[in-house]
Amino acid sequence: MTERQALIGAGIAHIMLFAALSLGWEWSQQPLLPADEMIPIEFVDIANAPRIKEAPRQSMQAAPQENSAPAAPAATAPPEPDTVPDGVPPLEKTKEVPKKAEAPLAEAKPLDMSKLSNLIDKALPKSRTRPLDVSKLATTIEAAAPKGATIDPRSAATIAQAIRAQVAPCWNPPIGGADVRRMTVLIRADFSRDGRLIGVPVIVSQTGVTIGNADYSRAFAETARRALLRCSPLKLPIKQYELWKSAEINFDPESMT
Amino acid sequence: MRVLFIAAMLVATPALAAPIRVDINSGIAQPLPVAVPGFAATAVQSTEAGSTAELGGRIAQVIANDLKSSGLFRPIDPQAYTTTVGAADVTRPQFANWRTIAAQALVTGNVTVNADGNITVGCYAYDVFSAEELTRQGFVTTAAGWRRAAHKCADLVYSRLTGESGYFDSRIVYVSETGPRTRRIKRLAVMDQDGAGHRFLTQGQNLVLTPRFAPNQQTITYMSFEGNRPRVWLYTLGSGRQQAIGEFPNMSFAPRFSPDGSNLIFSMAVGGNTDVYRMDIATRRLSRLTTQPGIDTAPSYSPDGSRIVFESDRGGSQQLYIMAADGTGQQRISFGEGRAATPVWSPRGDLIAFTRLGGGRFSIGVMRPDGGGERLLTNAYQDEGPTWSPNGRVILFFRSARGGPVDLWSVDLSGQNERKVPTPLDGSDPAWSPLLP
Repeated sequence: MTERQALIGAGIAHIMLFAALSLGWEWSQQPLLPADEMIPIEFVDIANAPRIKEAPRQSMQAAPQENSAPAAPAATAPPEPDTVPDGVPPLEKTKEVPKKAEAPLAEAKPLDMSKLSNLIDKALPKSRTRPLDVSKLATTIEAAAPKGATIDPRSAATIAQAIRAQVAPCWNPPIGGADVRRMTVLIRADFSRDGRLIGVPVIVSQTGVTIGNADYSRAFAETARRALLRCSPLKLPIKQYELWKSAEINFDPESMT
Repeated sequence: MRVLFIAAMLVATPALAAPIRVDINSGIAQPLPVAVPGFAATAVQSTEAGSTAELGGRIAQVIANDLKSSGLFRPIDPQAYTTTVGAADVTRPQFANWRTIAAQALVTGNVTVNADGNITVGCYAYDVFSAEELTRQGFVTTAAGWRRAAHKCADLVYSRLTGESGYFDSRIVYVSETGPRTRRIKRLAVMDQDGAGHRFLTQGQNLVLTPRFAPNQQTITYMSFEGNRPRVWLYTLGSGRQQAIGEFPNMSFAPRFSPDGSNLIFSMAVGGNTDVYRMDIATRRLSRLTTQPGIDTAPSYSPDGSRIVFESDRGGSQQLYIMAADGTGQQRISFGEGRAATPVWSPRGDLIAFTRLGGGRFSIGVMRPDGGGERLLTNAYQDEGPTWSPNGRVILFFRSARGGPVDLWSVDLSGQNERKVPTPLDGSDPAWSPLLP
């Protein structure tokens, strides 16, 4: 009985093996047709997308073709010394700023002093690199004014930190691109009191742009703009709205490569 | 007093409300979430490749797969879409619907049957958060050519969002392998970059090795043992014609085209010395480029055709060397630990990919043409035979498992995004075509 089963099994196995082999043989003997010529493809223009109304007008200005334009808008350009009115305090006076700033520091109880000094230290060298620091000038002026005290460097540093902490996770730069190491983009954004962007962020300036990398620099700048759009609204202290209603954010992937 | 007055005025002037300055020095490196809904059929019509509605769905899938395979995009699962795309939405997308699923880019389009039976595939890309159109292009092809239209659309989107040229509308030629180690059957095979449209070019009676595309993508050069005489051959796609490049008495191998397609460079063994030769394809005139004792092989042109990188054991072990296209100025460029073989110049010109042999392993590495900046991109048991994507961002190679299968794999230039390329059988010796026209 078992022998018969085994025989039947072996018979079936043989038939299957034979079938498989003959199929395989037939398959491998199929004449090969020559591979097709490439199917041709032609490029054509297609229907215009109507101008999208949803986006505010600024979006058109932000079209990144202008990336290479080095000129910064007037509002962000450092004031020329000779255009400053006569009465503005002479430059030496700006050196008093850090001293004056110490007074409010003592009142700010909940703030972690050590961290703050770090922030200030970080912020200071950067501001020194600018030809003439507008914010410092404003502080100076304010210090001279009777009521003053709305702009102060530590608050500014804290706000900058808050913006950085919220925007960086939204920024997805094209890492590994041809020229990523040497590229930065400065974006100007205006915010409403609830932290939402007003309009579309504008590209102020960009470094690392060459004739050969126009497409890449455009894509790079757009990732920065997209980061701000995605992160909106930012959560920032409304009390200090004057400090952050307008921001210039420099995107530099130096720590990523 | 006057000072104070002016200062107070200035504070009140909005122009002086200087924007706060923020420096962002790092972001996240994550694939970009992109929505690729089925392309709309302007009118549901049937074609030889299916209805326009079906084509629209398949085109979107091919685009999504292409983008995903790059590792730079994350197509969102269509199940999450809150809306489909009708014909009117293609040029007027409902951005709010795409924002809710956190898509950052939207790729959409339409399929139209033309009067002559061809199809036009319209391809549109949008930035979802700024609600802006990024790019658009129409592609006219036969209904059977819908895949090429989809790859072209994916290339358009890739290049617009990354700023680099695409590589999806391209093909791969490789050696398909089957059978036991001792009686391996090797056949030339060609397929689209994504594995579609696979077909065998040779029957497998003769062993074939190292197929390489001509710049026009219509000719393939390879080495075949036909008639037990290992020689360099040419295969013409379309006609299927195969011809040996010459009746050399000696073994010729490791062929490659020059960037302008007019010359072949390859190795030939003459009198116990293997050197690199160049052949003018039109005149069949042969020039010898190297003369040193030892094996000089695996030559590859720089993209401008001015230089050649090759491997040689003239110094005692396999290393990479560079010379001018006429054979002058030969100079060793690889000095790291172990040996270096099978160099291939990047289509961008800035890097050379090669196989690093050492420590019982083969790995894929890249270095600059001056030999600096060496990096290993893979770390497996045996990875070899690199070939570049047309944009120089991805490297394809073959990986042999210990006593196991041999497969095609890809890795990007940063060493990330390792992927197995699907082939029906085992695969080795891949070569990537240039971007198709």
